[in-house]
Amino acid sequence: MTGVHVRLRALLIAVLSVAPAPALAHDIPRDVTVLLFARPEGQILRLLARVPLKGIMDVEFPRRERDYVDIPRADQALRDAATAWIAGKLEIREADRRLPAPRIVSVRMSLESDASFGSYDAALAHVMGPALPPDTTIFWEQGLLDVLLEYPIQSDGSRFAIHAAFDRLGLSVLTALRFLPPGGSVRAFELRGDAGLIELDPRWHQAALRFVRLGFGHILEGADHLLFLLCLVIPSRRVRTLVGIVTAFTAAHSVTLLASAYGYAPDALWFPPLIELLIAISIVYVAVENIVGTSLSRRWVITFLFGLVHGFGFSFGLEHTLQFAGSHLVTSLLAFNAGVELGQLLVLAVLVPAMGLLFRFVVAERMGAIILSAFVAHAAWHWMAERFEVLRQFPWPAVTAAGLASGIRLLMIVITASAVAWWVSVVGRRAGADGSADRPHSALRRAGRPADS
Amino acid sequence: MTSNPLRRRHVAVGAGLVTLLAVLAVAQALLDNTAEAQSQGAVRAPRFEVDPLWPKPLPNHWVLGATIGVWVDTDDHVWIVHRSSSTLANNEKALELKTGECCAGAPPVLEFDQAGNLLRHWGGPGQGYEWPDSNHGIFVDYKGNVWIGGNGGPDSHVLKFTKDGKFLLQIGRKGARRKAGAAAGSNEGDVAGFVGGSNDEVSFGRVAKIFVDPKANEAYFSDGYLNKRVAVVDADTGKMKRWWGAYGNKPDDTPLPAYDPAAPPAQQFRNPVHCADLSVDRLLYVCDRVGNRIQVFTPEGKFVKEAFYTKNTKDAGSVWDIAFSRDAQQRYIFVADGVNERVKVVDRQTLQELTNFGDGGRQPGQFYGVHSIASDSKGNLYTTETYEGKRVQRFVYKGLAPVTKQNQGTVWPGSK
Repeated sequence: MTGVHVRLRALLIAVLSVAPAPALAHDIPRDVTVLLFARPEGQILRLLARVPLKGIMDVEFPRRERDYVDIPRADQALRDAATAWIAGKLEIREADRRLPAPRIVSVRMSLESDASFGSYDAALAHVMGPALPPDTTIFWEQGLLDVLLEYPIQSDGSRFAIHAAFDRLGLSVLTALRFLPPGGSVRAFELRGDAGLIELDPRWHQAALRFVRLGFGHILEGADHLLFLLCLVIPSRRVRTLVGIVTAFTAAHSVTLLASAYGYAPDALWFPPLIELLIAISIVYVAVENIVGTSLSRRWVITFLFGLVHGFGFSFGLEHTLQFAGSHLVTSLLAFNAGVELGQLLVLAVLVPAMGLLFRFVVAERMGAIILSAFVAHAAWHWMAERFEVLRQFPWPAVTAAGLASGIRLLMIVITASAVAWWVSVVGRRAGADGSADRPHSALRRAGRPADS
Repeated sequence: MTSNPLRRRHVAVGAGLVTLLAVLAVAQALLDNTAEAQSQGAVRAPRFEVDPLWPKPLPNHWVLGATIGVWVDTDDHVWIVHRSSSTLANNEKALELKTGECCAGAPPVLEFDQAGNLLRHWGGPGQGYEWPDSNHGIFVDYKGNVWIGGNGGPDSHVLKFTKDGKFLLQIGRKGARRKAGAAAGSNEGDVAGFVGGSNDEVSFGRVAKIFVDPKANEAYFSDGYLNKRVAVVDADTGKMKRWWGAYGNKPDDTPLPAYDPAAPPAQQFRNPVHCADLSVDRLLYVCDRVGNRIQVFTPEGKFVKEAFYTKNTKDAGSVWDIAFSRDAQQRYIFVADGVNERVKVVDRQTLQELTNFGDGGRQPGQFYGVHSIASDSKGNLYTTETYEGKRVQRFVYKGLAPVTKQNQGTVWPGSK
């Protein structure tokens, strides 16, 4: 919805709200939920839609006493509403070709308690079944409009995309869309307002591109992740060294992000605050390590371990977005990680020269590293204290067999990931040692060397 | 070149890791088996945690009065009815009295969404109907209509509105239970001025709660604070269809002796008859609040069975309101107990109490006169409190769990 629309609507509401109560014929509803099923079958795409009548403007429904809908006379008004407010607000594309206007097969008025839109088959049977008894007393704003639309298509195996612009039905509109491609699978989407054109069965590269963008944006908006990155840059600005460390970070958070997506993370209220606290601790730890001047030869190890923690943090931000992954869950998660990695490299591209200039012209390197790290440690310490306060409101969880089993599963994932990382480092060192005469510095060895060695 | 000792060390570390993973895998499998065995053997019941942040603060310095009804509609919006200014002390409504800046009674009917935002608000006297002296109970039917009862002195009627507060129907006449010769306008709250009329086909006697059966389009009235019956009317016309008393007997308004837990159960309901809710298998569960019992009937009024709860409870009784769990079979009933300040979790088949939660107090998850209860489609519970409780609370459904405690006390977030 554009800003102009929002302002116009707010103005309209303001005008209506100061008018005398009896003149309030029809307010714009605050919350509207639209239910959609889309199912391509042969040469036809069937679309079932349910929209509350309260959101429909400019259509006068025939009424009888007490503003109950006169059901026997309401069919034309329902068809008008279906044309203007459902078919007219939908754009469906088959392989980038916009489908022509649909045929309105059937319209029905339903009671708001009707549950037939729980499944496609029940909804189809309902819309094609008998209408409400003509003497049903239903106040016009409390009814639902159910519609069956049919679009001609070339093949039910085509790629489809939908643009559902129902945002003018209410101040807040949620469109719950279920796409049923041939083969029996069901793909669910929850779209807020006008979500634009959505690929219903995205190709792997379309899903991947969306998630690369998401990952890129996510790292740039995450202050704590950026501060962690800054701490890695302060003592060591050899770009290739840093790429190794950052890659260890990315590999680690890929593991826990995938584990979360597949349901291996604890589903407990205390878990997100615990991860947030551990993220703050990771920043404090690396900042303090910078100050005390600990050897950086094993920094990739601690980066890898903290990367496992940050991965859980990323997963909280992805919860509502995985619906757009289609059948490419793993691809999308890896693409998200790739986006995060790209974002990190961009930040490094800015930070490394900036640090170099800072330490060359403003402050001596060691002193500068201590001052910057102290600032970061100070900020992260506050986060740590605040997040600890949140976490301590949760009592220790009771020890149960199911809880222990879940914890062990998580531990096995962490151990396996760490073992793989260790093995890679061993192989890398061995390769470096074997070819030391003509290739003195393998990437992993460089990652393990102190910056100033 | 890598030395042999280093290679041996790597092999040893690798073997150690593999062994560790194998041990963990075995331990996890054993624990999974244990957990499954534990869950099969134990009695399980829904577990809840209070949501201390729901609902959001009301606008306009509005406050709730005694809150005496709650229902959840098909959109999972929560509707409450409360008594607003009539139950607020002067120091609670200084804005309304123009003696200070805080606060004023909110409109009687309020609708909240799942996020706790206040949506619609309306209620009070208007043209074409008689607003109750003391509103009581709220129900949103399958057509989206809102029903209100009342337990004030002259309240002997039920009102139906649209969700926007447009008046649709009044069933019964206000003041119908006034004794012959008693003057209107004086001592309206005085029980002595009114008399029960449990066999009246037109009006009622302080209806506590309404439930509309979508299959038959019939409304069940818990009737009530003055009458001693369940009354069933046509939900469109309000025409009386049938009524009955305890055990399906013809109701009798003769006053009963004070409740005695040792005495045989009374053959009539005590006042108030406080709920009458129909289950998915078409059994009607009626709250005999002061009789500390639930009686179960067929929709036609044939008695099926009864069960007693915290039977030694005197005064206002232990069975105030019920809500069904939202699983397809409605396996559980949640009973609001406003004297012992708990929500009892009851097995619907056996009517046996499995566990309970809540305690007296003013913190989230505690109660002061927990009066009404309702469930949403996700299994969450909503309670309202009367007297000085004056609030609505949400309890988040956390799944089925083995019962480890009879009295869970305050179900604070994260507690077990």
